[in-house]
Amino acid sequence: MDIDIFERLIPLRLHVTNLTFGYDYRTVLKDISFKINSGDFLAVIGNNGSGKSTLVKCILGINKVGSGMIFLDDIDVTLFKNFINIGYVPQKFDDFNYEFPITVNEILTASNIRDISEDKKLELLDKIGILELQNENINSLSGGQLQRVFIVRSLMNNPRMLILDEPTVGVDRKNVEGFYKTINDLNAEGITIILISHNIHESKANFSHVLSIHNGEGVFRDLNRGEDE
Amino acid sequence: MIHLLADQPSFVNALFEFSFLRYALAAGLIMGFITPMIGSFVIIRRLSFIADTLSHFSLAGLSIGLYLINRIELTFIGDPLYLAIIAAVIGAFFIEILRSYYNNYKEISMPIVMSLGTALSALFISLSGGWNTSIYNFLFGSLLTVGIEYLILITITATVVIALVVLFYKQIVLVSFDEAYAKIVGIKIRRFQFISTLILALVVSLSIVTVGVLLVSSLMIIPVAAAMKVGKSFRNTLTIAIFFSEISVIVGMWISYELNIPPGATIVLFNIVILILVGIAKRFYVNKRLKNQQKEIQLK
Repeated sequence: MDIDIFERLIPLRLHVTNLTFGYDYRTVLKDISFKINSGDFLAVIGNNGSGKSTLVKCILGINKVGSGMIFLDDIDVTLFKNFINIGYVPQKFDDFNYEFPITVNEILTASNIRDISEDKKLELLDKIGILELQNENINSLSGGQLQRVFIVRSLMNNPRMLILDEPTVGVDRKNVEGFYKTINDLNAEGITIILISHNIHESKANFSHVLSIHNGEGVFRDLNRGEDE
Repeated sequence: MIHLLADQPSFVNALFEFSFLRYALAAGLIMGFITPMIGSFVIIRRLSFIADTLSHFSLAGLSIGLYLINRIELTFIGDPLYLAIIAAVIGAFFIEILRSYYNNYKEISMPIVMSLGTALSALFISLSGGWNTSIYNFLFGSLLTVGIEYLILITITATVVIALVVLFYKQIVLVSFDEAYAKIVGIKIRRFQFISTLILALVVSLSIVTVGVLLVSSLMIIPVAAAMKVGKSFRNTLTIAIFFSEISVIVGMWISYELNIPPGATIVLFNIVILILVGIAKRFYVNKRLKNQQKEIQLK
């Protein structure tokens, strides 16, 4: 079997050891350690400004880690190359230029680096509930609709891990339930999931691990074992 | 510029009669095709000033070329346009270096490089004997300076540009619309940026011949600015922009020939006319739609 295809079938593992990170003189994350295996579902919870998004940026290699280590599939994050295996939905879309005309379909086609089939794309659009929006201009969508476009995009390249940063902010309640069902299904299919949320208790996500961050310090729990680490 | 006689043939007849006019029109149409294509990516990335910066820097190349050819008699250079291309590429390097140097104030690179280019231009224009027709043509463009060599050069450039856009379409769209995501999926942003600035430098310096240094950037920006107001999708916007651009080139060159005005001026002015008309039409259409919607609501 093609090694690349083989690799894609195994969900990503993540190991964070003694991670400390700060901006200038402010320490945002203090000595965070946790480990999740292939197919786990981690919920990262904490108040706004507790450092949840900062942690994600460290995992994605956007923030350069100063102290501590992050391993993706046992590879140091600074040496890790296949970030395409990680589907990422950011909390804000400030980076996206959505004033210039481009349709949902066009942005998804451009994001389809691994050339998934048209059918698969339509299936994803349908699953996330935005099939009817595919020919709409991005700049005519509401915040919640845009959020779902980016969720579809994060699933486009057959990710082995999915990182969702507050994915349901601005999405109405009916769609939130459908969304969590989809995420649970994806997890059941074997994709490792990291879900960042400040009100995880309202969600119907089947998470297996919880990392709660408070003032930069993390408490990690494996719900299957029911113990704190 | 040559003052054409009062009984000059009409534009269409002149096209059959004069090869220079055919070359100029062909060159204009090729430029009219690729400049909005590049321009739309430039606009999306909010780099609209980069074309202006590069064109001013290539004027420095042109002036140095004129100085070397006319004063130092280094006639082997042939056409100062070659030095304009080299200067634009050097300008592109400077921009990239300054952009990485001032990480949080990237746009600071533009005025620095632009003023360096303008200062060098002033210096070498005066050293090479001051104001003359060549300088005037470089500033505002000319129908008469387009030769077969130039036409071949821009045909090759345009082919390369179109091929690159087609081949790397996904990557270009991704980087333009969402650089952060492009980085995650593994696109080498710095390399991409460098190549795209180089291509931009090449196109800018080549379009100087037809529209002139001062108006080059408008050729990239105005048709796209008009098209993005009416475009239904990215491709649709691009197609409309190219259409507007080509119409402006044809009408602009025709008026330029008839009234003996530099083509840069007429092409850009016609582009502005389109921009205004699109703006008015859009407003009229939106108002009409709003009224219809209100009527529907009232009827219900």
